[in-house]
Amino acid sequence: MLKSLLFIPLFGAALVALVPARFAWLVRAVALATTAVAFGYAIWIYQQFDPGFAGVQFYESHTWNPRLGSAFVLAIDGISLAMLLLGTLLCLVAVIASASIRERAKGYYMLLLVLETAMLGVFMARDWSLFYVFWELTLIPLFFLIDRWGGKNRHRAALNFVLYTLGGSVFMLVALLVLYDAAPGQQVLEMTLILETGRALPEQMQILLFLGLLIGFGVKMPIFPLHGWLPLAHVEAPSPVSILLSGILLKMGSYGLIRAASMLPMAAEALQGLLVTLALVSVVYGGILAWRQRDLKAMIAYSSVSHMGVVLLGLAALNPAGITGAVMQMVAHGLVAGALFLLIGLLYERTHTRDIADYSSLVRTMPRFAFFTVLTLVAAIGLPGTAGFIAELHVLIGGFQAWGGWIVFLSLGVLVSAAYALRTVGRLFTGPVAARMQGLPDLTVTELAAAGVLTAGSLLIGIYPTPALALIGASVDRLAQLFVP
Amino acid sequence: MSGFDLIALVPLLPLLAAGLIALLHLAGIAQDETGEPWTARLAVWPAALALLIVLGLDLAALAGGTPGSVQLGYWLVSGGFEVGASFMVDALALGIGTLVALIAFLTLRFSVNYLHREAGFHRFFIAMCLFAGGMQLIVLAGNMAFSFVGWELAGVSSYLLIGYAYDRPTASGNALRALVTNRIGDAGFVLGIALAYAWLGSLEWSVLSERSQPFTTLAAALLGIGFVVAALAKSAQVPFAPWIARALEGPTPSSAIFYGALMVHAGVYLLLRLAPLIEHSPALMGLLVVLGGSTALYGYFVGLTQTDVKSALIFATTTQVGLMFVACGLGWFELAAWHLALHAAFRSYQFLASPSYMHLIGGAARPVPSLLAHRQWLYTAALQRFWLEPLAERLLVRPTRELAQDMRVIDEQVVSRLVGLPEKAKAAALLDRVEQARHQGAQAVVYGHGAAGKLLERVADRLDHFERHLVLQAGGGRMAWLLRQVGQWLVAVESLLERPRYLLLLIMATLVVIL
Repeated sequence: MLKSLLFIPLFGAALVALVPARFAWLVRAVALATTAVAFGYAIWIYQQFDPGFAGVQFYESHTWNPRLGSAFVLAIDGISLAMLLLGTLLCLVAVIASASIRERAKGYYMLLLVLETAMLGVFMARDWSLFYVFWELTLIPLFFLIDRWGGKNRHRAALNFVLYTLGGSVFMLVALLVLYDAAPGQQVLEMTLILETGRALPEQMQILLFLGLLIGFGVKMPIFPLHGWLPLAHVEAPSPVSILLSGILLKMGSYGLIRAASMLPMAAEALQGLLVTLALVSVVYGGILAWRQRDLKAMIAYSSVSHMGVVLLGLAALNPAGITGAVMQMVAHGLVAGALFLLIGLLYERTHTRDIADYSSLVRTMPRFAFFTVLTLVAAIGLPGTAGFIAELHVLIGGFQAWGGWIVFLSLGVLVSAAYALRTVGRLFTGPVAARMQGLPDLTVTELAAAGVLTAGSLLIGIYPTPALALIGASVDRLAQLFVP
Repeated sequence: MSGFDLIALVPLLPLLAAGLIALLHLAGIAQDETGEPWTARLAVWPAALALLIVLGLDLAALAGGTPGSVQLGYWLVSGGFEVGASFMVDALALGIGTLVALIAFLTLRFSVNYLHREAGFHRFFIAMCLFAGGMQLIVLAGNMAFSFVGWELAGVSSYLLIGYAYDRPTASGNALRALVTNRIGDAGFVLGIALAYAWLGSLEWSVLSERSQPFTTLAAALLGIGFVVAALAKSAQVPFAPWIARALEGPTPSSAIFYGALMVHAGVYLLLRLAPLIEHSPALMGLLVVLGGSTALYGYFVGLTQTDVKSALIFATTTQVGLMFVACGLGWFELAAWHLALHAAFRSYQFLASPSYMHLIGGAARPVPSLLAHRQWLYTAALQRFWLEPLAERLLVRPTRELAQDMRVIDEQVVSRLVGLPEKAKAAALLDRVEQARHQGAQAVVYGHGAAGKLLERVADRLDHFERHLVLQAGGGRMAWLLRQVGQWLVAVESLLERPRYLLLLIMATLVVIL
């Protein structure tokens, strides 16, 4: 069942490869259909899923390398399923947003679909070796997507991105190998089986392993000093890839960290102080730098650092409210960042400038664009009625239970995020009518649909969060039980 | 699910009607004269349906007794705090509910002709339907939260209708005065709700009458005083009395339904609901007798000196409602209930007929009785409405206004500067400067106003420096440079190793190590 979800995009990529390159519309149609089918299939899985059951579901295992003990194991719990739904949705939106990419479109869509497979694989894998394979597999299509279809500095951005992520992966790989050897006799990497091994390790060992994994996942998330690749990559990548990059690929890092915390609970508790410090620094640092940017895409990129800091903060609280908030924030930020990159990408296609100062009074020429952008920016601040509010509230409660007054820095980060969001609204949409801004076409129907789906998702979760909370509830509780003092 | 669950529809139908009229109005269907039939139908039919439902429930109650209260589920559950979606279905609620539904239906039907070709026809019906729903909610709600929702809906719709002719300054001023006076009562209501939740753990009216029995008289008085203040304000009793005379600014049918018939009795109804609690507290009863009695006297004397139909009627209403308060204070709740029903029916007829009184009444009005005519001081006092309004003006409004002025000075001189908001005088100049900068194309995006803004600006500059020189360089510049260096170095080593003599040396060294 999960296997099919994994192979749908791959199959789509193969189909794209068979279509002659001169039928560009057919290439695009195939990619669109593939991602739509994948999203539909994820929804179907959601309907089959039993949210009350805390363990993993739809388990399937195939022997892969018996001598090493690695296996091709796929299974999901509530947290993975939330990420699968978000990932397939964002892939669909990314394909819709790719209309402007006409040169070498065939290769582009193939890489995009391969990327989708690798990304879904990360969230479905239940064996650390398989997880690692998919994790590295995402790099290959991403490297080419940025390097070939990116902006002016694309070569540097792509190289930078791959170097950073590979550097982090080295630490992750070493940690996984140590873990593999830690329990003599029982040499497996299956996530459920290795849980006991990990939890039984002495604290010192756990901390070392956790630090290794933290560097690997922290680069991807990104956590404060490891975020150097992110601004450049986000700015230079083509907009649809930015959507995927910030919408779902960053979540791979926090997802991995959640899995690591459940495997090494003692280390998570011992390093709680470090995690909270890093999280709070990320929140404030990312927010302030986002405020400092003139480039719209760089602003969203830094705001991602800030928002992913909230995820880490919730996770570091190590209580049900905090972890719920972290997972909700992953979903909320996926929707918001996806929508923002989509909208700004569409704006860039029309004006070819990303400097905030070049814009004014867009509300007159592009009212629909203005409506969705304002709504999304408001959702980014986390105003009540949007998914971000549910997430931030949970993180605030969880963080306050664990850390008390230090959480004021989170509020500070939210305040700064309001500052840059409102400044953006003011700059883009108000002011005198500029001649250059005349005659810009407003969003077309397909663009409207893509933006509408993302904002509607954000509002839906914000107004009626019960289904989303129920979906992740059992899995979160199971994780949080490990940390009951 | 029993048939009594239908009670929920009674307040809901007029509210839905209000929403629908508003939607159609926005959509451009219910607009101008051509849209009047739509609005009229949408307002009158739900009112009729609500009346039919109440009548049906009345019949069922007469045949099989009342269930007391019905609960349709929960409106809000949060931790230990829960508010049920509950409605009262007892003799009192059904009786008054029938009266409200009847008067609301008749008044709405009357207004269709009365307001024909008025500019705010649709607006009027939206507010009237809101009021009908709110009033039914006050009467039928099973818990304080729902009652309060109705209470506020009634307050808001009264504000909207007093200010119906909002282009007249007196109308909007009077609307504001009425609303603000009512807010004092609302504060009392909220206090009552909070105390009830703190002491009883529930907001149900039925629980209030059961569990307040073991209370001391002091606790009962404290719990009751908030609600009593709310009742006094809504029913325009003595300290709050003047607002109701100002409220007559609205169209006549709305005056009839608000001040003649229904809303003015909401306070009495609240007291009837609180009967067990009030009976328990002699202090509250005494307060009600004193204030109700003085209101009755106030209304009587002031009413005698009035020269227009509506004012005379409203002071007569005040007198009667004052008498109801006295009855409640003396513990004659059943008498007060009958008085309420009869007075509401009669007075709404009088108010609706008031525009034609000039034709209906032949001859001159009676002169003031000798009691008043021969005592000049009393006559002056009555004419001045016992100076209640100037008193409130001096004791409350003026100090508030002065305080507000002081605050404004602090706001402009200190807070605005600190926060970076432009002062009023300088705002235009600042805007001008920004516009000029925009035109010249040289403009700073990243700048802050005020103390916090400047601080943010400075911190952002520092962090940006840090980011550029350390974090980003480490990734692209520095790391790539390092890699290149290492690469060159390795190439050099490799080329050395390729030379045979070093290769031999290496093999020999290996052998030495192994041996």
